[in-house]
Amino acid sequence: MIELEVKNLNKRFGGLHVLKDVSFGIKGAELIGLIGPNGAGKTTLTNILDGAIKPNSGTVYLNGQRIDQLPPFEVAKVGLGRTFQVTRSFRRMTVLENLYVPALAKHVAADKTEVTNKALEVLDFLTMRHLRNEYAQALSGGQQKLLELGRLLMLDPDIIILDEPFAGVHPTLMEIIYEYIRKVNEEGKAIVLISHQMDSIFSLCKRLLVLNYGDLIADGAPEDVKNDPVVVDAYLGKDDDENSDTTNNEKQNSA
Amino acid sequence: MNRQQTLWLISILIIVFFMTFPFLYGRRDYDYIMHVLITGFFYAILASSWSMLSGYAGQFSFGHMAFMGLGAYGTALFSHYFYLSPVPTNLCTEFEIGDQYFIIKDAIGVTSSTLDQDCLTKALAIWDGSVQITPMPIWIGILLGSMLGGIFGLLIGMLVLRLRAAYLALFTLGFSEILRATISAEIKITRGQAGIELPYLFENGITVFGHEFSKTDKIPPYYVMFFLLLACMAVLAWLAKSRFGLFVRALREDEDAAAALGVNTVRFKIMVFVITSTMAALAGAVQAHYVGIITPNNLMILQMSLVVAMAVIGGLENFAAAAIGAIIIQFLLELLRESFVIGGVEVDMTLWRLVFFGALLMITLRFYRNGLITPIIEFFTRAHVASETVEKRMDPKTEDVEEEGITG
Repeated sequence: MIELEVKNLNKRFGGLHVLKDVSFGIKGAELIGLIGPNGAGKTTLTNILDGAIKPNSGTVYLNGQRIDQLPPFEVAKVGLGRTFQVTRSFRRMTVLENLYVPALAKHVAADKTEVTNKALEVLDFLTMRHLRNEYAQALSGGQQKLLELGRLLMLDPDIIILDEPFAGVHPTLMEIIYEYIRKVNEEGKAIVLISHQMDSIFSLCKRLLVLNYGDLIADGAPEDVKNDPVVVDAYLGKDDDENSDTTNNEKQNSA
Repeated sequence: MNRQQTLWLISILIIVFFMTFPFLYGRRDYDYIMHVLITGFFYAILASSWSMLSGYAGQFSFGHMAFMGLGAYGTALFSHYFYLSPVPTNLCTEFEIGDQYFIIKDAIGVTSSTLDQDCLTKALAIWDGSVQITPMPIWIGILLGSMLGGIFGLLIGMLVLRLRAAYLALFTLGFSEILRATISAEIKITRGQAGIELPYLFENGITVFGHEFSKTDKIPPYYVMFFLLLACMAVLAWLAKSRFGLFVRALREDEDAAAALGVNTVRFKIMVFVITSTMAALAGAVQAHYVGIITPNNLMILQMSLVVAMAVIGGLENFAAAAIGAIIIQFLLELLRESFVIGGVEVDMTLWRLVFFGALLMITLRFYRNGLITPIIEFFTRAHVASETVEKRMDPKTEDVEEEGITG
C-alpha cells in the first residue's frame, strides 16, 4: 500500500520561512487537493517531495524509504512523479521520445518493443497518437500538458503531483485531464492536485490540504475545509452577495 | 526505395568516394589536396564530437581544443622524453625493465647553445653509434594522450556540474586559456612557443600490399584519419540512437524535468564530457603525429571558434551534419585562398576568405538555425512526419509507419 509520511518539514530561504513544521500523510490511492494563495509554499513543498531542494529540517518517507535527502532521479525511481507549473516538455524531441525517457530511465532492462507499445497506448488515451513523431515544440500548450501527463504514465510512480494541470487548457483537453486523473486514481495511484481552480478541486478531490504562508492550516474533507473560517479568511473568501467581488477567481486574476 | 534508404545509399556513396579518392585523384597538387582532406577529417572529428557535447547534451563548452591539445601534448611529451635502451646511459633517470632500460630524458627546454644538450644526446655522443636506442611505440603515446584528455574531461565535467549556458562557456574558455598559457610558460618541459616535434605516424615508412610508402607520403595518414573519423562517427551514431543519446538530449532540453523523470543527469553530464574529450584528444594525438609538431597556437581560441563555426554551419544538433560541415568548410577555406583581380584591384583572399567565412556563419545563424546540412538530412528522415500527422488526424485507422526507435 502507498504510504507517504511528511514530518515537521521546514524550509527557509534566507530570512523567509517558507514551510513551517508541515506534517501530513497519504495512505493508499487518495486524491488530494493542495491549495493555498500564491506564495503559500505549495511549489516549495512539491520541490522538496521530489528531491529538487532539500529541507532545513524534517523528514519525508515514501513506502518506508526516506526520500528527503535523495536526488530527484532516485525519488522518481522510488515512486514519486510530478508535473511542473509551467509545462516542461522536451521541446526538440519527438512526442514518442518524450515518453521513452521516463520508461527507459526507470527500467534499465526495459524491452524496447514493450516500451513503444506502452507509449502508443498512452498516446491513444491522450488522443495524441497522430502526433507521435512530431517534435514537442510543435504541440499546442494544452497538448504539451497532456504530454507531461503521458510521461508520468510511462514513469508509473505510486504518487503523482500535478501542479496546475488545468491552467490555460481548452475545455476539451480539460475533459481528458479530468478523465486522466480519475483513471490513474482508480488504478491505485495517489494523486496530489495543486490548482487554483476550486471547481475542479472540489469535484475531484476527497481531501484537501491548505497551505498559507508556510503553515498547513487545514487538512480534511472538502466540505469541512470549505466551511473552515480560517481557510475562508486566508484563501477562499466569503461566497455571499456582499463579498462576491472577492471570490477566489478574482483573487487568481489579481495574482 | 524510400527516403531513409536513399539517405543510406548516399552515405555509402560518400564513404566509397573518400575510400577511393587517393587512387582516383591524380593532379599535380595531389599532396596539397590530400593534406586538406586529412585536416578536414581531423576537424570533422572535432566538430562532430563537439556537436555531441554542445548540440545533443547542451553543454556549450569552449574547451574542446584544449582536450585536443592534451591528447597532442600527451603523446608528444611521451615520445619526446621516453626511450628504451639496451644499456644504461648513467646520465638520465632510468629503470631496468627486463633486458632493457627505460630512459627518461631530462627537460632542458629550447637552447641554441650546442653546449646545452640533454642527457640522452650526451650518451649517444659517448656511444658514438655503438648503441641503438628505441623510441616508444607511438600508439602507446596516442593511447595515453587520449586517456589524458578523458581524465581532464572527467575533472572538467565534475567541476561544471552546476554551471549552465554562458557560465559553462566562460569556465571552459578559462580552462582552455590556462592550459595554453601553462604550455607556453613551461618552456623547459614543453619547449613553449617553439613546440615539440613528434615522430610521424609511420616514421619508418610502411608497406601495404607490396607498395612502399615513405614517412611523408599522404596516403597512409589519409586512411588512418579517415578510418578514425568513421570509427568516431560509428560510436557517435550508436550513442545518439541509444538511451545515452535520448537522456543527454533530455538533459539539454530541461535538466530538472529529466531528473524528475528518473534520469541521472549528473552521470550523463560527466559521461558526455569524458567521451567527447577523449575523442578530441584522440584526434589531436593522431593529427600531431601526422603534422610532426605541436605548438600552443593549436589551442588558441581562434581554432576553437573554427570548430564551433564548422559545427554550427553544418548543423549543431546532428553530429553527421557537423562532420560534413567541417570537411566542406575546410575545403572552402582552402579554395578561397586564391586571390583574384577586380577592375585592376587585386583582392588578397588569404585575408578576405575569413570575411566570407564569417558572413556565411552569420547568414547560417540568422536564417538556418539548424545549419545548412541538417535540413538536407531531415528531408530524408523527417519529411514524412507532417503529412503523416495530418493523414492520421483525418483518418486514425491509417497504418502506422515504423517508429523511430532506440537501440541500446
